[in-house]
Amino acid sequence: MSAPYLQAEGVEVSFGGLRALQDCSFTIDPKRITCLVGPNGAGKTTIFNVITGFLKPNAGTVHFKGQSLDGWSPQQVVAAGIARTFQNLRLFVELPAIDNVMTSLPQQSGEEPLAAIFRPLHVARAGRRRRDEAMAILQEVGLADRADEMVRNLSYGEQKLLIIARVLATGAELLLLDEPASGLSAGALDKVMTLLRRLQSEGKTLLVVEHNTRVVQQIADDVLFLHQGHLMARGTPQQIISDPALAEIYFGGAL
Amino acid sequence: MDFWFSYIALASIYVLLGLSTNLLVGIAGIFSVSQAAVFGVGAYIVAYCLMNDVMTFLPALGVAAVVCVALNILVTLPALRVAGDYFVVTSFGIQLLATAVFINWTAGTGGANGLPGIPPPDLFGYPLETAAQVVVLCLAGMGLGCLMFWLVMRAPFGRLLRAIREDELAVAAAGKSVLRAKVSAAALAGAFAGSAGAFYATFLSFIDPVSFDLDASILLLTLVVVGGARTLRGSILGPFLLLALPQVLTLIEIPTTVAAAARQLIYGVLLILFMLFRPQGLAGEKL
Repeated sequence: MSAPYLQAEGVEVSFGGLRALQDCSFTIDPKRITCLVGPNGAGKTTIFNVITGFLKPNAGTVHFKGQSLDGWSPQQVVAAGIARTFQNLRLFVELPAIDNVMTSLPQQSGEEPLAAIFRPLHVARAGRRRRDEAMAILQEVGLADRADEMVRNLSYGEQKLLIIARVLATGAELLLLDEPASGLSAGALDKVMTLLRRLQSEGKTLLVVEHNTRVVQQIADDVLFLHQGHLMARGTPQQIISDPALAEIYFGGAL
Repeated sequence: MDFWFSYIALASIYVLLGLSTNLLVGIAGIFSVSQAAVFGVGAYIVAYCLMNDVMTFLPALGVAAVVCVALNILVTLPALRVAGDYFVVTSFGIQLLATAVFINWTAGTGGANGLPGIPPPDLFGYPLETAAQVVVLCLAGMGLGCLMFWLVMRAPFGRLLRAIREDELAVAAAGKSVLRAKVSAAALAGAFAGSAGAFYATFLSFIDPVSFDLDASILLLTLVVVGGARTLRGSILGPFLLLALPQVLTLIEIPTTVAAAARQLIYGVLLILFMLFRPQGLAGEKL
């Protein structure tokens, strides 16, 4: 039997006296959309931080394709093929949309000052090729015509699409998306959901934090229900949403 | 020496310093008030090499640049460990330490009396003795510095630094090393400051600790704030405008002792006014 695609095992994270994750274990399967749901404070973003190397767990491990990510830096995790977005976007608002995407392209010539100074022609040529790559990614998310616009001038819906473009540019195969659909109008929401489905059909694996049950029902293959820092249930969207005990936790507040 | 020669040479040297400060403070967001110390180390190294016939000007400039690269990495390393506000205090300490060394290490630096009689620069053994020749050399140094700055800022490295200034966490999430980029920026800033020191020592033929003290570091910040952060034209405009100020003050009939104090006062007031009312400087972006 081959190793699970992504496996979290017994992950514990404490902030002072607060236990954000306790004995949190789950696996996710490749080329599927897995939604991570649960009430506020369930530990959804915390597990993202652990997987992507931003937070060192007090205990437990995360394995990606059989390899332990223990002690890896965010850069190493991205290089291994896992990239994440942030709930509050964290776009570079003073840069044009295309520069936001280009920043994420891996291994660029001219990212070191010496190359920039001593091989300017090579850097410029490579830069034009990388720009085409970035344009293709913007095209994919439907923002090609906004490439040179400063991010602060983009609508919220466009920013949400751009954040997906930026994570795609890393070339990662596993995308961790923190609330990609929150705060969107119906039209923008459809665009994002269509995009996520298309990325899956292109071979990406998606782990998505999502609150909107309609979105979960429409895009998720699997749903993980997190509560008080550990996995409470796992199932299809229908199984999770129709479970009265989970609904009570999710909508009714505390147990 | 003719006023214009002196003005142009000094301004072009300060453009190199402006580029250095701009890279470190404006672009990498490392708020250092010790760049004049690094500048001073470059100047003393070149003075020592030329006065003791250790080597000629260009190799000495190279040595100064390399030492200042190393020094600037060392000096800014705490910035990568402590948060911004704390680093200001750290770099303040580094500046005071450097000034203390410049003043007290009389065997190496001539102490408070400074080092007089630094030989003029030479190019491949050919001494540049006229003012015009030295001005051309300083302008060439400035031109090369500007070209390097321009190349670096239009390359992916420049974009990475701008991104880091906005959001370090997002840069890390994009798979890039924030530490590596900042260290590179500090290194390049060190090379610019060290080279500026080389031109300064040989152009004036005299250096003393006053040129590299805290006031000098604050002048470097003022250059960037007034000229404009993060742009090439801002880094050129700031020095050329602010270095004209002492000359303008000589036109007004006030005693020289008052003029020196008035200059510091005006620099200080300009710094405050620009930060309050025009943070992007004359030709830059918001600091």
